[in-house]
Amino acid sequence: MRRRRLLALLGLVALPACLGAWQDADPRARVRALVDAGKLDDAIAAARAAGPDLASMLGETLVLRGRLASADSALQDAVARKAPGWRSAAVTLAELAERRGDHADATRRAQALTSAYEQGASGWSSTDRVAAGRAYLLQTRGKAAAVRSALSAFDAAFAADPSNLDARLRAGELFLDKYNAPDAKASFEEVLRKSPDDARALLGLARVAIFASDAPSMPLLRRSLEKNPSLVPAHLALARLHLSAEAYDSAAIAVRAALAVDSSSIAAWSLLGAIAWLQGEQPQFVQVREAVKRLNPRPADFYAELAEAAVAHRRYSDGITLAREALALDSTSLRALGILGNNELRTGSMEQGRALLERAFAIDPFNLWHKNTLDLLDSLKTFTTIETPRFRIVAPREESALLATYLVPLLDEAYDSLSARYHYKPQGPIRIELYPHHADFSVRTMGIAGLGALGVSFGNFLAMDAPSARQRGEFNWGSTAWHELTHAFTLGSSEHRVPRWLSEGLSVLEERRARAGWGAGPTAEFIAAYGSHHLRPVSQLNDGFVRPRSSGEVQLSYYEASLVCEMIEKEFGPKAVTDMLAAYKEGLTSPAVFARVLKLTPAQLDAKFYAWVRARFASPLRAITATDSGRVLGGEFVAAMRRGAEYLSRKQPDSARVALERAEALFPEYAGASSPAQYLAGLAADRGDYKEALAQITRITTRYETAWDANMMEVQLREKLGDTLGTRAALERLLWISPYDVELHGKLAELATRAGDHRTALRERRAIVALNPPDPIDARYQLARALAESGDIAAARRELLPVLEQAPSFEKGQALLLELRAAQQKSPP
Amino acid sequence: MSRRVPRLIAQSCALGLALALPSAARAQRVHVIAAAGLSGEPAFRLLFEAAVSTLVDSARARWHVADSSLFALAEDTNGTRMRATGRATRKELEQSFLALSRRVAPGDIVLVFLVGHGSGEGTDSRVSLPGPDATAADFAGWLAGLARQNVVFVNAASGSGDFGAALAGPRRVIVTATRTALERNETRFATPFVRALTTDEADADKDGRVSVLEAFAYAKKEVARVYEADHRLLTEHATISDSTLARSVTFGAPRSAPTDPRAAALVAERSELESQVAALRGKKESMTPAAYDAELERLLVLVAQKTQAIRALGSGAKP
Repeated sequence: MRRRRLLALLGLVALPACLGAWQDADPRARVRALVDAGKLDDAIAAARAAGPDLASMLGETLVLRGRLASADSALQDAVARKAPGWRSAAVTLAELAERRGDHADATRRAQALTSAYEQGASGWSSTDRVAAGRAYLLQTRGKAAAVRSALSAFDAAFAADPSNLDARLRAGELFLDKYNAPDAKASFEEVLRKSPDDARALLGLARVAIFASDAPSMPLLRRSLEKNPSLVPAHLALARLHLSAEAYDSAAIAVRAALAVDSSSIAAWSLLGAIAWLQGEQPQFVQVREAVKRLNPRPADFYAELAEAAVAHRRYSDGITLAREALALDSTSLRALGILGNNELRTGSMEQGRALLERAFAIDPFNLWHKNTLDLLDSLKTFTTIETPRFRIVAPREESALLATYLVPLLDEAYDSLSARYHYKPQGPIRIELYPHHADFSVRTMGIAGLGALGVSFGNFLAMDAPSARQRGEFNWGSTAWHELTHAFTLGSSEHRVPRWLSEGLSVLEERRARAGWGAGPTAEFIAAYGSHHLRPVSQLNDGFVRPRSSGEVQLSYYEASLVCEMIEKEFGPKAVTDMLAAYKEGLTSPAVFARVLKLTPAQLDAKFYAWVRARFASPLRAITATDSGRVLGGEFVAAMRRGAEYLSRKQPDSARVALERAEALFPEYAGASSPAQYLAGLAADRGDYKEALAQITRITTRYETAWDANMMEVQLREKLGDTLGTRAALERLLWISPYDVELHGKLAELATRAGDHRTALRERRAIVALNPPDPIDARYQLARALAESGDIAAARRELLPVLEQAPSFEKGQALLLELRAAQQKSPP
Repeated sequence: MSRRVPRLIAQSCALGLALALPSAARAQRVHVIAAAGLSGEPAFRLLFEAAVSTLVDSARARWHVADSSLFALAEDTNGTRMRATGRATRKELEQSFLALSRRVAPGDIVLVFLVGHGSGEGTDSRVSLPGPDATAADFAGWLAGLARQNVVFVNAASGSGDFGAALAGPRRVIVTATRTALERNETRFATPFVRALTTDEADADKDGRVSVLEAFAYAKKEVARVYEADHRLLTEHATISDSTLARSVTFGAPRSAPTDPRAAALVAERSELESQVAALRGKKESMTPAAYDAELERLLVLVAQKTQAIRALGSGAKP
């Protein structure tokens, strides 16, 4: 016994590079090594050569090769003869039944195994225990206990034989299937410590990386396939990665590689079907669908895969239709219930969505996404909904009045502007949810916490952080809302076929058009990365969003995409953009869209954009150099900034000014928090040159959407200079960075009142009341006064009476009441 | 019968108002002991001293508290901008209470305000002071001499929660910055509570005076707002011991009875009208909204006209 274990262990370490003489002594190890190395045909031959004792292994290997009829025969034979490993054969037969849609047969076979296991497992080998675990996994629908039993069986198998890495791998895969990435990762790492080239463990780690989005998965996948080129799940994982980047050709190549190994893989056929469906290749799609039906006459998973792909490509209503088709074939399809439930919620059908997720959760109580979403739906009940003809704004009760005061007019303005530009009007009200806790927004978006975005659009459903979800100065909630609403138009007008880069680029461009300073702008990081070719060309820009090579690439890709859109508008006219959206709506691929609308090949478009950027940012591109990884290294701009900072620290303002002005001349568009303008404004203010300070600080406030301090400085400077109109504009900008400062609202209200702008004064007084200020009675009195000043005596009275009801001794309120009475008597209603 | 019931209600409401505003009936003196405990670092020292200074300055200027009734104790009387009357030691505190107990009259208000770092539990809860600390048990002993006064004892220090139980008693409002002795993080309660007592912001009913309950509600709300703005979990939960008494003990400019008999009559009439507003509020649920609003407006207009008339007489009497 000890010797066999040692041999097996040695085999795992040494194989598949060199097959030693001991293989002859242990044909099982030889077959296993060949399987692990992806040499399935050789493994099949070796298993056949080893005779009936290896019937079980032969059957399992034939399954991997997709030769299901032969596999079935070998497996049946193994079970009938109770050949070594026959329990593995038995569970493989159950799995095959499940694959072809015969759930009853699969369950019957699995139950037979697990019943026997539960009656007494003392004589069961490690491999038998793994078989029991696999059998439990076939019985998990709605049975959380079966999941635990499966895990326990895998653990028992590993305890019985620590060289049985399959047991550990299956435990890891189960952990991951049940959303427990840390334990999954630990399991795969344990396997890799014993067998550093284990392809399944490498695949497992890649899946963990994809799940957690915390590490690049592609190198792990490639290594996994290098070690086992026949590992179908690795090919499929690679295909899914390509598909998520809308790289259809690469995805199809990966799927075909999987099918070349196992032509019976429904998962592979499903992905191929998804690729065909997404590209609108109907004949190929039909062909694939028929192939799947031959394997499983009721292929719910096929439609679930299509539904997932549709949703991942922002085609949410198609996703709903496809998920419904999946459910029609299998009403317990967890994937379909989840997709349908989540997307019903995304389209605003809250009750239907909840009911579906409840059903899904009853089947799989481990599903983190469904649990989080159901919890969130509970807390969403306390939110307030504000309805307008175009929008349905859902926000926390205590903030809804404040946020809607600003958001409704902004969204109406955006709607008018965008519908005119894109010749499209979204159907039905657009639902916008604002979350005071970022984690809730993240759960609403993708089921778990950890999403880095500020907002998200699913077409007619938008979700975003409320301004209270983040620290002041972290984001601009107005531009975020505008950005997300733009998606509703670009997605809708292209029937959700616009590629991610174009949709994001247009959203950022529309932000910039909405207000001076809104939307991303050029930074030293962008210049360094672009100048050193660390950002993608237009034809590959989607990868910058879905497969970033560095932590900052996504952010920089947003700006780059907006520049592409800007260039297209400038060079080809604004109609080019709507023509492109129309072409995508027809189902054209990007190269076809470029050819039709821009008359360019992808390579020509890449070259044109490159030259355009080089010309537009010629000066900063010369003045900023990059490291090998594309980060800012140095150059004349950086040197001038450093000199400026050095002089500032030495309290030599004149020299600092010269250096900073040089830096500003080299990169005049740069307006970040530590831009030359920031320092130059400070220097000018220090020497009492308020006009120059204002000129400098305005460079920032009109280019940088979250510049709280700079806008505050602008308010002070404009007040000093007596520019009330400019002060009001700066205050308006501040409110889109954070609307919670009662004092700023008060200041804006006063300035507006003085200017006779009653509409703004009223809005500000209403905002103060909505903020539940320290002195609510006075705030409501001020609102009543503003209403009176705007001429709305009746509304003023309605506002004032509850004030005096609570505080009858309030003299200012009493005086206003008499004023209102006098006004009413002069001009009765 | 149908007329008597409302009148009875109106009378009892008026009586309630009179009870709620004892200071309106007679000159009620306020005495203040405010102490800033051991700070540990300059930022805390500034914070503690600012709270005590603001309170004492306001007591002097707004509430017209006599200097002899003001005890402002600082961690260190040197190097401070605070006009301290002594050091915030245990001994000095004890002497302040002793001195005060000899000056107070029955019905006077004694405001004790402590800010600093707290420790201990139960009756051993304490505020850190230069030298030996003062415990809740110490304060209980010192307060014994103020049994006939309305005492407002505010411990704005961290871990102050157990002072509530240790000092509870008749004619006492005990305010603590924390619910328990275990809430020991730095507290934010002192600053908004002092702001509430010393400005008009917390005067929710706009009667020109701030009750302890109004100040407490204001401060509690402001503390929550600060934590929310900082995206921090609330780690202090202020408590108040007797909300009925806290509603009736008020701070503000002393009320002066008008000397002009015409004004005095107008003030009395206005008080009666205000009590009618209070009575009307009690009937709100049983009236139609239109009828209620009409009656409310009628009464409020009358109240406003009385105020206008009082102003016209130039008596300067505050409502």
